[in-house]
Amino acid sequence: MKTEMAYTQAFEKLEALIAQLEDGDIQLEDLAAKIEQANELIAICEMKLRRTEDDVKSAISKAASKRKK
Amino acid sequence: MTGQIKLSALVDQIEEAIQTSFEGEMFWVVARIMNVKKYASNRRCYLTLEEYENGIKTAEMRSVFWASAYAEIEKFEKLTGQVFKDGIEITCRVKVRFHKVYGLNLDIVQIDIAHTIGTLELERQQTLDRLLKENPHTIQLFDGVYRTFNNRLPLPAVIEHIALITAPNSDGQRDFQQEMAKNKHQYKFFITEFLTTIQGDNAHKLIAEQLTLIEKSGLHFDAVAIVRGGGSQTDFKPFDDYELARYVAHFPVPVFTGIGHDRNQSIADLMAREQKTPTKVAALFVDHNFEFENNLIELKTRFFDLVENQFQQAKEKVAHARRMVKLASPEAILNRGFAIVMINNKIITDPKNIREQDELQTILRDEIIYSTVTRKNNNEN
Repeated sequence: MKTEMAYTQAFEKLEALIAQLEDGDIQLEDLAAKIEQANELIAICEMKLRRTEDDVKSAISKAASKRKK
Repeated sequence: MTGQIKLSALVDQIEEAIQTSFEGEMFWVVARIMNVKKYASNRRCYLTLEEYENGIKTAEMRSVFWASAYAEIEKFEKLTGQVFKDGIEITCRVKVRFHKVYGLNLDIVQIDIAHTIGTLELERQQTLDRLLKENPHTIQLFDGVYRTFNNRLPLPAVIEHIALITAPNSDGQRDFQQEMAKNKHQYKFFITEFLTTIQGDNAHKLIAEQLTLIEKSGLHFDAVAIVRGGGSQTDFKPFDDYELARYVAHFPVPVFTGIGHDRNQSIADLMAREQKTPTKVAALFVDHNFEFENNLIELKTRFFDLVENQFQQAKEKVAHARRMVKLASPEAILNRGFAIVMINNKIITDPKNIREQDELQTILRDEIIYSTVTRKNNNEN
């Protein structure tokens, strides 16, 4: 389910988590869970970025090959 | 019947009278030329010089250019851009000659070409003035440049469909088609030909008819090309015609002219977009499309750069987040020499919860230290 999250949504959550970390708002006992959550969000962002980049490249090369025909 | 004389005697007397009056004399006369018969091979031209008043002929003389003066006709055509033909008014230098058999003639020895150029220029200026006066909203003059409804029409981004007005089997037709066909970018053009005579007295009407055909064809055209090529530098008078110029100025599709004369611009040229020759008109269409392709390539490059930048920025942001998260992790904290204090496996964040004799677990990076609290002091630092 988490992988269905959009890049923007995942990145916004990640930014909010980092802001909490920077402000010291997270209790030490919650820290490990929050770090894990942040790592999951990072993985989603990276996966979404890769997939979008691949999609864009493929769309561009499709358009280029259509033009050649 | 007294006093009869032979015809030849009378003719002798006439000849003598004429010689007495005109021998060695030459005169500049202004007249209209008619019945022009040019024999280029033996370099002679026979014609009549005529004068009219209120449409009525008031004088006529048979005249001739002999071989010695034939070059005057060639010079006239070259310098005025006009064919030496019936209906033109000229100023010429003549001498009176009488032949016992052929009668009275004028030998033309020189043409005042400056006079003809002046007359043509005056007529041309009158036509231009009339175009401005009668079409104030669609034909205007700014800084010596004629701005018309037609030559201000925006050009489509790509010119593909072209209506070509030209003479059949002419140099202009061939030059234009060849230039388009061999264009180095291999652009494809769709050219529909509207063929007609493009020189002569009726040319302006015939060209206008072709423009009407284009307008009524129901076909879409991006541009109209009127081309005429080859060696002839003369007879561009049809393109100075008021009605044709006005039609071109108001034509709803951009008109390009390449009517092949360098001496001067015709009025139709001024009302349209002028390119001098058929080849130049064709080259302009090719260049126009090449410019569009260049813009497209530039846009594509900018687009790719923007996409690349966007991904790069997003990747950098995620990488930064990863670094921040890593720094905040308990492992990173322990690596920096900090410790986590626990009592009964519960993290202690408030020292008030620690009492003397409590058993502490101090978690360091590699080890856990078990200890008992023997004393507590306030941290003065």
